[in-house]
Amino acid sequence: MNRSSLLVVVQRYGDVSGGAEAHARSVVQRLASHFAIEVATTNSTDYLTWRGDLTAGLDRVDGVTVRRFPVERPRAWNFKLYERRAFRSRHTLDDERAFIDAQGPYAPELLDFLFKRGRDYDHVLFFTYIYYPTVLGLPLVPERAVLVPTAHEESAIGLAAYKPVFHAPRAIAYNTEEERRMVWRRFRNERVSNEIVGVGIDVPAERNATRFREKHGITGPYVLYVGRIGVSKGSRELFANYERWRASDPAHDVSLVLIGDAEMTVPRTGGIVHLGRLGEQDKWDALAGCAAFVMPSLLESLSLVTLEAWAAGRPVIVDARSPVLAGMARRAGAGLAYRGPAEFAEICELLIDDAALGDRLGRSGAEFVARTYTWPRVVETYVDLFAEIRMRLAA
Amino acid sequence: MRILVVVQRYGAEVVGGSESHARVVAQRLAMVNEVEVATTNALDYWSWAPHFPEGESMDGPVRVRRFPVTGTRSPTFKDAERHVLFEPHTLADEQAWLAMQGPHTPGLLEFLRDEGKGYDAILFYTYIYEPTAAGLPLVPERAALISTAHDEEPLRLVPYRALFQLPRAFGFLTPEERDLVHARFHNSHIPSEILGIGLEPPPWHDPEPFREHYAPRGPLVLYLGQVSEGKAVDELLADWNRYRAAGGTGSLVLAGTARMQIPKQDDIVPLGRVSDEEKYALLEAADALVLPSHLESLGIVLLEAWQVGTPCLVSAKNKVTSGQVMRAAGGASYGPGGFAAALAAVLADRDRLGASGRAYAERECTWPAFDARLEQLVDLVAN
Repeated sequence: MNRSSLLVVVQRYGDVSGGAEAHARSVVQRLASHFAIEVATTNSTDYLTWRGDLTAGLDRVDGVTVRRFPVERPRAWNFKLYERRAFRSRHTLDDERAFIDAQGPYAPELLDFLFKRGRDYDHVLFFTYIYYPTVLGLPLVPERAVLVPTAHEESAIGLAAYKPVFHAPRAIAYNTEEERRMVWRRFRNERVSNEIVGVGIDVPAERNATRFREKHGITGPYVLYVGRIGVSKGSRELFANYERWRASDPAHDVSLVLIGDAEMTVPRTGGIVHLGRLGEQDKWDALAGCAAFVMPSLLESLSLVTLEAWAAGRPVIVDARSPVLAGMARRAGAGLAYRGPAEFAEICELLIDDAALGDRLGRSGAEFVARTYTWPRVVETYVDLFAEIRMRLAA
Repeated sequence: MRILVVVQRYGAEVVGGSESHARVVAQRLAMVNEVEVATTNALDYWSWAPHFPEGESMDGPVRVRRFPVTGTRSPTFKDAERHVLFEPHTLADEQAWLAMQGPHTPGLLEFLRDEGKGYDAILFYTYIYEPTAAGLPLVPERAALISTAHDEEPLRLVPYRALFQLPRAFGFLTPEERDLVHARFHNSHIPSEILGIGLEPPPWHDPEPFREHYAPRGPLVLYLGQVSEGKAVDELLADWNRYRAAGGTGSLVLAGTARMQIPKQDDIVPLGRVSDEEKYALLEAADALVLPSHLESLGIVLLEAWQVGTPCLVSAKNKVTSGQVMRAAGGASYGPGGFAAALAAVLADRDRLGASGRAYAERECTWPAFDARLEQLVDLVAN
C-alpha cells in the first residue's frame, strides 16, 4: 500500500517535558502505522532558553525519522522587554514580529525546509500556535496544513500576527469545545474546517490504591495533584487554599498529595506530601485512591491528567475561572468548580463526607473520557481530516 | 454597511486596470453604503513617488485615506525580481522581494490592524502589492480579495501561498481567473463571485463619417488600445499583412497611443488617442474589433464593442478574452495562421454575432447587473 506522507512540526520533540510536546509525540506514535511520517523540530529540549543541546540533523525517536534544525540564537535574554513592547495597546507590527523572533525557537533552516520541501508531504501537522516554527512555517504550506493550536487565553493570542495561523490552515484540530469557542470568538474563523480531536487516554488494566498508600506511607483520605508544581500552574493558590481550609477545619484530616517536579518551594505545612516525579503505574495507583483530583491551573487548553483522573473514575476539583476546565467539568458532569478559598473548602468537605457523590461524579467522568478521548476515535478523526485535504489537493 | 476598499493607488488620474476597477467599485458601493478607501499617496507604480497629499480627502461620496509610501522602489528591484523568479534562492529572498516591490506603507498596515474591525467588509485590490499581501492577513475575517491574477511568475512566490487561503471571499474579474486561482491554490471551497465590470451607456456618437470614409475600401477592422508589442500589435500587423497578401481587402485602424513603429501603408491607419465619442463612433462603424493581446485580465474593449453591436476577434492564446467571446457568442478567436479565416467568418456573420454580443453586454454590464454581483460579494464577507 502506498501510504500518504505526513510531516509533523513541533518546537521540541523527544524526551522533553511539556504538554503540547507530549501530545505531539503520542499522536505521532498512533499515526505512524497509517502514514509515512516524519517530524521537523529543533535541536533544543529547553523552552526557556532554546539552548541547542541536541545534535542538529537526522534523528530517530520511537522509530520515526526526526529532522532537527538548529536554533540559531537562544531566547533573547531581554525577552520580557519584547513581550512588554508587543503587548502594549499601542504597538507596531514590527514589535509583533520582533516578539515572535525573540520568543523563538529561532530556527530559520526549519522554515527554509518547509519552503522548499514542505509540498513534498501530503499533509503537514503543526503543534502549538504560538511559536516561531508554526507562526512562520504554517503560511508556507497552508493548503496541506492542519493546526493543533493548544490555545488558551493569554496576551500573545491577541496579536495580529497570529490571525493567519488560525485562518490559513486547511483544518484545525481543537482539544476541547471550550478551546474552539474561545478561538472562534477571537478570530471569527468558523469557516475553517475543524474537529474536536485531543488525545486518547490509555487506562492501565490494573490500578491499586493500597499499593500506592503502602509504598509512600500515606494513610487517610487525600486530595491529589499531578503535574508541574509552579506559579503558572496555580500551585501557590492551591497551597494557600489548602492551608486555610485545614486551619479553619482541623476535623478533616485530609492530605494534599503532589506528584511532579517542583519549580517553586513546596510549603512544609502538615498534610502536604510532595512525592516528586513518579512512574506511570504509581500515578494511576495514586489516582485510583484519591478522594478527588484537584487542578488549580487557569491556563490549560487540555489537561491530560484531568482526563486521566476521570478515566480512573475520580471526581475533579477545578478553578471556576479556568474556562476550559470548568466547562469540561460541567459538560462531563464530573467535577466541581470553586470561586475562592471558601468554596474550595466546602467542595473538599463535601467530597470527603459524601463518598458516594465522589464515586458518582467519577463514573460520569470515566464515561465522558470513553466517549471523546480514546485513541481509536482520535486516529480516525485525523485520518478523515487528512483525507479531506488530499481530496482538495487532487481536485 | 461600512465598507473599506484597499488599493495601492487611487484617483481619477491613476492609470491601471485594477485601480480603475477599484474606483468604480468604491463609487458604486457608495450609493448605498458608507465607503472609504485606504491607499497611498503615489500616482505611478514604478517609483511610488509621492504625488497626492497624505491624509483624508473626498472623491465624491467616498472618503479617501492616503498613507505615505516610505522609500521609493529600489533601483535593484528588477535584479532581485529576476533572482527570485528565475534563479535558485532562499525563503528570505522571496520575502524581501515583496518589500522591495513596494509600495511600503506601514501607516496603512497599522491602520488596518487598529481600525479594520470598524468595517463590515474590506475589499482588497490586486494580490501582488504589499498593501494587500501584508494587509489582508491582518483582517482575514472580514476580507474579500479581488485578486486580478493572471498566469504570471510572481503568483508562485511565497507571500501569496497563504494570502489566497485567507479571505472570506474572492471577487474575480472572469471565470478564467477563478479557474486559474482554484487550480493553483486548491481553494475552491472559499466562496467567490465573478464581478466582471459595469459600463456607462455609450455617449452620443456618430459612426457615419467613419463608415463613409472607410467603406469604399472594404471592411474596417479596428484595434483600440495601446499600440505596443506588449499588447501583441506587432503580431496583429503581421497577420494583417498576410491577410492582405492573400487578397484580403479593407483597412486596419489603430486607435490609441503608439509605443512602437507602425509601417507606413495605405491600409494601416494610426489615429493616435481618440475621444470617448470618437471611440464609440469607431467601434460602431467598424466591421470587427480585433484584440490580439495575450495578457488581458478583462477585455473591457470587447464589452464596449458589443455595446454598439460590433463583433470581436481575439487571440486564442488569451484564455480570458477567448472565454468572453465564447460566452457572448459575439465573435471568434484565432490561433496562429488563423487570422484571415476567422476574420472572414466574423464578417460573413457580422449582424448575428454583433446582436449576440449586444445582448450579452446588456445582460452582464449594465449597472444594475454589476451592482447585484457586488452586493453578493459584500454579503459573502459581512455577517
